[in-house]
Amino acid sequence: MSGSRVLQAGTRIDSTRTVNFSFDGRDYTGHPGDTLASALLAHGVRRMARSFKYGRPRGIIGAGAEEPNALVQLGTGALTTPNVKATQAELYEGLSARSTSGWPSLDFDLKSVLGQGSRFMPAGFYSKTFKWPQKLWPLYETVIRKFAGFGDAPAEPDPEDYDHLHHHVDVLVVGGGACGLLAALQAGRAGLKTLLLDEQNELGGWLLSDPNAQIDGRSSEAYIRSVQAALAEMPHVTVLVRTTAFGMYEQNLVQAVELLQDHIAPGQRQAHLPRHRMHKIRAHQVVLATGAIERPLVFGNNDLPGVMTVSAGQTFLHRYGVRVGQRVVICGTSDLIHDCAESLAKAGAQVTVADVRHSAVARNGSYTVMAGHCIAEATGGGEVKGVKLVPLHPTRDETTGAGSFLACDVVLSSGGLSPTVHLFCHDGSRPQWDESLAAFVAPHTGRKGVACAGSVTGAFELADALAQTTQAMQQVLAACGKTDTLPVPSCPQPRRLQPRPMFRLPDGKAEGAGAKAFVDYQNDVSAADIELAVRENYHSIEHVKRYTALGFGTDQGKLSNVNGFVITARALKRPVSEVGTTTYRPAYTPVSLGALAGTMSGELFDPNRYGAIHASHVARGAALEPVGQWQRPWYFAKPGEDLHAAVARECLAARNGVAVMDASTLGKIQIDGPDAREFLNRIYANAWTQLAVGKCRYGLMLDENGMVMDDGVTACIEQNQFYMTTTTGGAARVLNWLERWHQTEWPELKVWMTSVTDHWSTIALVGPKSRAVLAKLCADIDLSPDSFKFMDWRAGTVHGLPVRVFRISFSGELSYELNVESGYGRALWEAVMAAGAEFDITPYGTETMHVLRAEKGFIIVGQDTDGSMSPMDLDMAWAVGLKKPFSFLGKRSLSRSDTAREGRKQLVGLLPEDPASVLVEGAQIMESATVGAQNQMLGHVTSSYHSAFLGRSIAMAVVAGGLQRKEQTLYVHAHGKVTPAKVGSSVFVDLKGDRQNV
Amino acid sequence: MFNPPNVMLESPLHAFGLPARAATPAKENRVAMSELPHLGYIVLRGKADDTAFMQGVAGVLGQALPTRPMSVVSTSAGVVLWVSPDEWLLACKRSARDALLAALATALRDVFAQVVDNSGGLTALRISGPDHLLLLRQLGPYDYESLAVGRCASTVASKTGFTVVRTDTDGVVLVFRRSFADYTWRLLERTARPYRLCITSPAHCADPLFTPLLEIV
Repeated sequence: MSGSRVLQAGTRIDSTRTVNFSFDGRDYTGHPGDTLASALLAHGVRRMARSFKYGRPRGIIGAGAEEPNALVQLGTGALTTPNVKATQAELYEGLSARSTSGWPSLDFDLKSVLGQGSRFMPAGFYSKTFKWPQKLWPLYETVIRKFAGFGDAPAEPDPEDYDHLHHHVDVLVVGGGACGLLAALQAGRAGLKTLLLDEQNELGGWLLSDPNAQIDGRSSEAYIRSVQAALAEMPHVTVLVRTTAFGMYEQNLVQAVELLQDHIAPGQRQAHLPRHRMHKIRAHQVVLATGAIERPLVFGNNDLPGVMTVSAGQTFLHRYGVRVGQRVVICGTSDLIHDCAESLAKAGAQVTVADVRHSAVARNGSYTVMAGHCIAEATGGGEVKGVKLVPLHPTRDETTGAGSFLACDVVLSSGGLSPTVHLFCHDGSRPQWDESLAAFVAPHTGRKGVACAGSVTGAFELADALAQTTQAMQQVLAACGKTDTLPVPSCPQPRRLQPRPMFRLPDGKAEGAGAKAFVDYQNDVSAADIELAVRENYHSIEHVKRYTALGFGTDQGKLSNVNGFVITARALKRPVSEVGTTTYRPAYTPVSLGALAGTMSGELFDPNRYGAIHASHVARGAALEPVGQWQRPWYFAKPGEDLHAAVARECLAARNGVAVMDASTLGKIQIDGPDAREFLNRIYANAWTQLAVGKCRYGLMLDENGMVMDDGVTACIEQNQFYMTTTTGGAARVLNWLERWHQTEWPELKVWMTSVTDHWSTIALVGPKSRAVLAKLCADIDLSPDSFKFMDWRAGTVHGLPVRVFRISFSGELSYELNVESGYGRALWEAVMAAGAEFDITPYGTETMHVLRAEKGFIIVGQDTDGSMSPMDLDMAWAVGLKKPFSFLGKRSLSRSDTAREGRKQLVGLLPEDPASVLVEGAQIMESATVGAQNQMLGHVTSSYHSAFLGRSIAMAVVAGGLQRKEQTLYVHAHGKVTPAKVGSSVFVDLKGDRQNV
Repeated sequence: MFNPPNVMLESPLHAFGLPARAATPAKENRVAMSELPHLGYIVLRGKADDTAFMQGVAGVLGQALPTRPMSVVSTSAGVVLWVSPDEWLLACKRSARDALLAALATALRDVFAQVVDNSGGLTALRISGPDHLLLLRQLGPYDYESLAVGRCASTVASKTGFTVVRTDTDGVVLVFRRSFADYTWRLLERTARPYRLCITSPAHCADPLFTPLLEIV
């Protein structure tokens, strides 16, 4: 005997159709329009969960987002969703759900056995137990994890999609109840671009649970329908349902999540539409018509299944046609309880109202009132069977007698309304306690850009709410430059008996001595726990929250927080207004990670940047390496080759024959202007004044600390035009750097800089036979060594295409870098491959490139440097032009005491004693082979490879005072191994540099 | 100057084989897209208050560069987009590009200015259809509804950026970088899923300003 379906006019379900669903393996039926909760209640299903700590049986308390107990696992497999509130799960054909607590089952829960020892498990016991012995912690953790949590995260990839939609509107109205509907109508009629959101599946808010409301002579349903129709006629008004505004951010950005398809059976969902959509709304004016949520009263065993809120009782009856019980006890502090008593009595229930106000009387003879009484405790094993009612002192929260027992099958309580202030307070502010209303309210005048409308401001009566909304909207319209005068809808103002605010109902015993009175259901926080926190000297409400876990759960304390704040204030003997609330933070209700990510997952998680020649590399079986966001060929393995075999072959081809590499990813900047040379002088360490047209020079770029930040070859194209290259990863950063200095420090310099990174593709043709290959493709450049020297560049025609040829070398071999407009990049690459076929031309990637340059001791910024290496540290003093007339960036810092001191880490070469031993990059270098109590770490290995050309291992390293340690043997430590290595030059191949000059 | 054989030219969206996938938009296709490839792109840098610069350029283009932010201007040489107070992008016929580069270089020889060929670095894509505005609103936070015909804006879209040019009420042209073209196309295709995207030919997705510049290979 408890919940049942009743014939009720005006419900929102379609009782002519049936929907089949299952819960915990049992089959049930419901109706379209039901939630899982209403359908289960209609079948008398009560026990939905076991509590988090004590394993106590729990049932449905609320009817919406405020529900703390009825968390279910919805669906199976890849679509399974944990912790959906049964009160929010819209029923569809074939829905399958299960409870998320209770082990081994809901009926018999092992934790509840432990829960018998609850007096040893008060708030805070987690931090005091399970500490020792320390070695048992892994075991404790496994056990606690088994008992902790509710539902299960899906174990399979999500097959559904998510996306985002941005809005720019004049007015955003959050909440589609009576006041939100009115606000949207008023804004829309004034011609303002308006967006109205509501979290429910249909508009109406509390009106859906209060069919007898009258607005402008219309019933709730008629009013909702007429406003909806009016809004639909206005093209500048958009209405979204099943859309929860979960956060409000700086400058009136509101984020909301729309559940587009969760209410549709998986087999019926449309694949081309997302499952959830995140709306990012920028509104000139935000109107918060977010309403209020009713608080339950706190009394002994108030967590028994069958103890619910009054508004839940009303909602299940009027909206879903479910009478939650047959013998009903209602206890509360205001006339809300009489509205409910009348409705339930009319639906055939036997109703007794325990009204805490001594002067309360029944409105008619359909139900009984016990005035000046409250509930001391509910009783029943597993579900509520009765209550102990006690008489109250007229003004003090004290009992005046022993009281009596009353049998019942459902208990509804109401402690008053708590305005839903969350969005208003997401800016870090706190709501104000209104003593007369016994509520934390948002200000009825809102704040700049944000209006508050309706019961969120404490205007709990419909007539007051509509009047206050109209006043607020008048200001909103004015802020949008509209002068329309708004009429206030007419609404009857019923006579109300003054509420008597109460929170923790007295049971005649000291707190903690009687039955457990729960404040926070999801975390099993009782009133006694809060008093314990205060006794343990936690006096800030934020500390009380953390100590007890009040308000921590997926319900974020919607039913519990205010009760908790007041109980804390009473325990501290301080005014509630002083104790205040905890911090409100987004999200108001849980948001799926998919909604936050939108399309930014899988292949769209991050851009992959490609050069124009990419398809050729893929066709040749290149393995790829990410360099920043770029995908670059790493090595080109032939069948049967691993990385090392491929790299060895590629390196030998580059030094002995001809090889080719795609260098298109390097940053390229065109610099023009009469002051271009001066600008280069200032941003590079070396000198540019004398660089002639047709010549190239290596440039070293320092930051303000004198440390190397980037490098690259820059060529003089025309007298006043230069072509700068940067590292692949540094391109954007260098351009920003150049712009920053030009715009903020030297705006008088006449120079322009524009990125051409994507315009040019670069093909590096490398090796002793590179000239021969180029000659086959290019007839109009004299390639002879005396004419086209190392570090020259020429314009010409290669394979019929206009090409700039740069004779520069990162390998130390004869090398030509062909620059062509990217649209022709692939055609030129294939032509080079074809022309080089007779020479066994070998494509190579970044790995070989790294080895070749290391053999020549060329640094790679970011590999051999880490932002703390000056040019002197790198033995590159030759690249620093100290005689330039104007200072250059980093120059002053080079003379800083720490930058100029002895013993700094310096770049050297290392040759391992064992030529087959390749040092580990990052390995620590020490003078000693053994690790002792005091170890002096001299530096680390920066680059390390096997050199196929030399037939042995090589490495570059930074070592304290390294340039003075030539010929010294040092010890390289990594992964427990020690490798002796000799310090020497970082140039291992062709010390004099003859090979690039042939 | 000569024009190399266009058969060698590959646009930034070449890998997606769009021309081969082109179809005629049907009623259910709420969004249609077509690449407008192989145009010439010239970046112009100069000071708007330098009459020598402004006159020099006007002499080549046939009219003055626009100084009002976000302007889109159609000239005899091609479409000019205002990018910043000292930067403009000229989209032209590829066959006219070399002559324009030379003419601008000559006209601006002794002027403090910069003329940069960026033809290899950019491409254009026309997006049209009844829901093209919704699609744009799904890509990024710019207030696309406020972008009037004859205006352009450079903005962010997820993890990239592009320039949006509003040339008529039926659609827009996006201009974006070659190295981000793979990501941009994948982003567009994925975001357009609710609208049943139709990849189509330029003929079915004609843009009043950009399509006349196309020289189909």
